[in-house]
Amino acid sequence: MLGRIASFFKDDHRYVFLGTSAFALVGLWLAMQPRTPSSFLAQSYALEVVLYYLLVAWLVLSAVALVNKLIKWRDYGTSSPFVRESLRRMVRIASYVMWAIVCVFIVDRLGMGLVDLVRTSTQASSNPTDFLSSTVYMLSKSSSIFATGIITTIELATFGTIIAFFLALLMVFLRIQEIDRSDNDFIRFLKTVGSGFAKLYSTVIRGTPMMIQGMIIYFAGFGVLRGTGMSVSEIGAIWSTFVAGLVTISLNSTAYMMEVLRGGIEAVDSGQTEAARSLGLSQWQAMMKVVFPQGVKNAVPALSNELVINIKDSSVLSVIGVFDLMFATTTVAGIYFKQSEIYVVAAVCYLILTMTATWLLNKLSRRLTGAAPRTLPSSN
Amino acid sequence: MEELQQTVSQQDQLRETTQQTQAGETTQQTQAGETTQQTQAGETTQQTQANTPDAQPSHDNQAAEPLIRIENLRKSFGDLEVLKDINFEVMPGEVVSIIGASGSGKSTLLRCINLLEVPDSGHVWFHGSDLAGERTNVNELRESIGMVFQSFNLFNNKNVLDNCTLAPVTLKKCSKAEAEERGRRHLTAVGLADFIDAPATSLSGGQKQRVAIARALCMEPEIMLFDEPTSALDPEIVGEVLNVMRDLAAEGMTMVVVTHEMEFARSVSDRVVFMDAGVIAEQGSPEDIFGNPREPRTREFLARYLGE
Repeated sequence: MLGRIASFFKDDHRYVFLGTSAFALVGLWLAMQPRTPSSFLAQSYALEVVLYYLLVAWLVLSAVALVNKLIKWRDYGTSSPFVRESLRRMVRIASYVMWAIVCVFIVDRLGMGLVDLVRTSTQASSNPTDFLSSTVYMLSKSSSIFATGIITTIELATFGTIIAFFLALLMVFLRIQEIDRSDNDFIRFLKTVGSGFAKLYSTVIRGTPMMIQGMIIYFAGFGVLRGTGMSVSEIGAIWSTFVAGLVTISLNSTAYMMEVLRGGIEAVDSGQTEAARSLGLSQWQAMMKVVFPQGVKNAVPALSNELVINIKDSSVLSVIGVFDLMFATTTVAGIYFKQSEIYVVAAVCYLILTMTATWLLNKLSRRLTGAAPRTLPSSN
Repeated sequence: MEELQQTVSQQDQLRETTQQTQAGETTQQTQAGETTQQTQAGETTQQTQANTPDAQPSHDNQAAEPLIRIENLRKSFGDLEVLKDINFEVMPGEVVSIIGASGSGKSTLLRCINLLEVPDSGHVWFHGSDLAGERTNVNELRESIGMVFQSFNLFNNKNVLDNCTLAPVTLKKCSKAEAEERGRRHLTAVGLADFIDAPATSLSGGQKQRVAIARALCMEPEIMLFDEPTSALDPEIVGEVLNVMRDLAAEGMTMVVVTHEMEFARSVSDRVVFMDAGVIAEQGSPEDIFGNPREPRTREFLARYLGE
């Protein structure tokens, strides 16, 4: 990327006239927009005029070059003044000047315009009517609500995924138990029950919406505690909506992560188990020492997806009143009765969170699995 | 070819050093070296035994108990009957090669010996226990039965030394230090002393198979099973694995080898078993089987293999 930009400035290229002209048109359009109060070009009107006409001059030059090329279509490469080495370099340097001018206009009109927008809308006494100002106004007034929501969402997704990962490690052990010849009746019974339970758990959790799971867990927990004679405020202290939400997201994610882990474990070559068993290791030992580490490594990329999914899916927990980003958004929308603005803000927040999570997880999983195996020369 | 030559020259070196320190504990290795040399020179196994009586301790004694006794073994995969009433014995110190066409049941028979394949009926007697019995502790018996696979099956999440020490340490056969010492000793014997810390996945096929042999030896087994150990290797690499197996046979290890390497079966085995369509069609000394086969199907099979 950087190399391409550097080459664009250093090397001769084909887009000097066309690309710069298109950009210069953008600059001209910006120059014709009204100046905002904090525009710095407003102080030096003469400079702005000079810049404006430099852009116009560039467009004229481009037009001349185009006409020249159209007229001398056949022998443009040999006879046109524009292909001469010295002129070409001059034109290229001039095109950089044009880019700089347009950038000045962008900062002046768009950049300073945004600064003005933020300044006026944050100081406004009532909610402005236009989309951007209103969004900035509401964001500035309710920034603490959003901050709480975003932090809660991050906590729910991160802790939920980590707890689910360890639960899934336990559950997948139950899930993949197979009866071995040397097992006694008690072990056989335990393995059958364990594997059956894990299968049932996975089917039920993956077959019902997390929103309903959250409802059931929250209200069932509430009901049980109420049954012990606690008051509502006492219950709120230990069985808050956040705790209920965290339990829900952990239990839900466990089922999915268990299946991902099972896929990773089943992808390990059966020869690995056979080799371990042939040395006398029990099925459990072969699983623990050989198959499981390889299976988890296989599953790391798919497991890390689960965090991204949880960031998004935690939004349904707002129905039980978990103060996550979704709940914060609904709250703010209710205060100002402006929906579209505030939900766009929520979408952008979720997007930033998931993109950041993806980026971090990619780095992590590359460190865990990506280290290329050391290659060694053949011995003899 | 180059690698093979290097192996041979390494063995020469080994032989020289052993000769220099002959008084010490390395007498065994010298014998191994001599045996290999003589076998390679084309002399028969019988003569080799006569020259080095100590190398193969007990199998001349026909009165001894067989180490493995297989009785009426049957195994089917669905409708396909792979093993049809097999009876088969392996004496201590004996090297048995099982040959036969693909699909004749060789590998299944071998895998039934340590119960990686569970037979439908029959018995696999080993040290007075029936491995095929319903509630036999197979894990414990497997500790004494080493196995080498066609596809090596090295533990991909471990390095070379850890591959060797995993089972002895996990099964508490010895301390970690002792297991590592054992691992180093066996890895050195197969010529991989320099690769002790290398990840298992980084090795070539021939190296992997030699590590697999060392790994099995670290459990100090009484018998070694080889399931087509060279079939997945390039022709020029086969030699380095076969040499290790030759040394092992010369040291007196009891071995059952499923193989397509007829030259190896002829020169190293005490007995050759020819399987066809799920039954043992013929068995006998290598001279008989290769020189004077009785069964027409044995002749046909050998003609196909050796005629080329």
